[in-house]
Amino acid sequence: MERMTFVVDGAMATFRGAPTRFLAALLVVFSISGCASAPDPSDTEAYAEYQEINDPLEPMNRAIFQVNRGLDTLILKPFAIMYSVFLPPAFQTGIHNFLNNLQTPVIMANDLLQTNMNNAGVTFTRFLINTTLGVGGLGDPATELGWQRHEDDFGKTLAVWGVGEGPYLMLPVIGPSNPRDATGRVVDSLILDPIGLLGTLGNDALFPYSMTRTVLTAVDTRSRFLDEFDEVEKTSLDFYAAVRSLYRQNRRNDVDKFIYQRWKPASEREEQPAEPATTDFPDMSDMPELDEPLPE
Amino acid sequence: MRRVIRPVPAFSLLAIVFSLLLLTHGKPAWADTPAQGAQDLVRSLSDEATALLNKTGESSEKRVESFRGLLRQYFASSAIGRWVLGRYWRQASDAERKEYLSLFEDYIVYGYVKRFSDYSGEQLKILRATENDQRSVTVFSEFIRPGGDKPIRVDWRVGHKGDTYRITDVMVEGTSLSQTLRSDFASTIHQGGGNVESLLVVLREKVAELKIDLGISA
Repeated sequence: MERMTFVVDGAMATFRGAPTRFLAALLVVFSISGCASAPDPSDTEAYAEYQEINDPLEPMNRAIFQVNRGLDTLILKPFAIMYSVFLPPAFQTGIHNFLNNLQTPVIMANDLLQTNMNNAGVTFTRFLINTTLGVGGLGDPATELGWQRHEDDFGKTLAVWGVGEGPYLMLPVIGPSNPRDATGRVVDSLILDPIGLLGTLGNDALFPYSMTRTVLTAVDTRSRFLDEFDEVEKTSLDFYAAVRSLYRQNRRNDVDKFIYQRWKPASEREEQPAEPATTDFPDMSDMPELDEPLPE
Repeated sequence: MRRVIRPVPAFSLLAIVFSLLLLTHGKPAWADTPAQGAQDLVRSLSDEATALLNKTGESSEKRVESFRGLLRQYFASSAIGRWVLGRYWRQASDAERKEYLSLFEDYIVYGYVKRFSDYSGEQLKILRATENDQRSVTVFSEFIRPGGDKPIRVDWRVGHKGDTYRITDVMVEGTSLSQTLRSDFASTIHQGGGNVESLLVVLREKVAELKIDLGISA
């Protein structure tokens, strides 16, 4: 029950723009939860595994994950299903484009913080085209005209500045993250987003707007991963560990790709970076029988 | 500056003679670059899979067994299974290893056949291949979706030894399947008290569950 209060309190704080309250709630959750015990460093393999997993707050993270799953099953997923079943696909695309267009200030602020004028120019041009030709952002003619969208956030800016991701972190309501990207989210939503900044400065006039936008973004995002998420839940042995691994790999890939290609003009950006993001993979060296049949 | 002319060592001469012999005997099997061999493997898998998926009216059992055939032919499933178990492979007894590998194959077959079957209509476009080291190649490709959605990026890790090529990992949008399984399995062992048997218990249950889901009798 107490944890639920933190969850709701923490989430409301983000929306209402009271960063101190949100952070205080997070800190309290951290301090009341136990840590996973580290193995003896002399057991090199166990220690290497512990460092690779990099989830020192695992017991707390698992507890928050359970609460998030409950909230998802009860609230978010039903809405996402209704959204994807009852709303015509064209409407869904329109809403998705519209929400993307609203992200412009945050993306551009981060482009500028990285002193990437090229990216900032693309973001600005996309906004002009999509807001006018795209009827307020419902369409995305900019992409067809060769102005490819790129995502940017303060977590990426921190990565560009050399900040590592740090340990795994499961945030209440928001989901998987890490200290760098959680900080990024707070900065994006409370400072770099104009409406968020207004709320942070104490003006609640646009609170209903930002609340609607947050809810719609959550439903839109969730509706895009309905099947994938169900499949992972069904096939994984330890759902928490599978989500942790998938989130981390996915975010690393995003950030690596972004950093690697950020100076290239959009037209020369490939879908794929030169090097695969995952360097660790099944090694063939200690596996002499590649075509060894499986035991019957 | 005077150039010192050294006598050609005997083994160099042998090497030259050997290469000449090879040249006269046409292109040896290993003259194809590994990058080419790996791309051929992925292309051939894609063709066979497409043919399989285009067969309609097959029973669930039949489709599952065809999928198992592809897995055995194109994937180093035994090697993947061992890598996924990681350091626990060495701790496992012979009996545990045997059961684990057999369960691992079932787990992949029953767990992924649905995802595999869902991928009808898409086309695999192979872009290029890079040799990572002496033993492995990454083949870059994308799934072109019929609706004109953004293509899905898929990288294939292909291991090779002599003429044998086998896929060791599939990375979808930068997310490695083998790596995800490894994390998942290691965590399951941790939760179960650190022994391989605890993983086998969960795997047995999961395989049975997935079979029921597919409507296959045990």
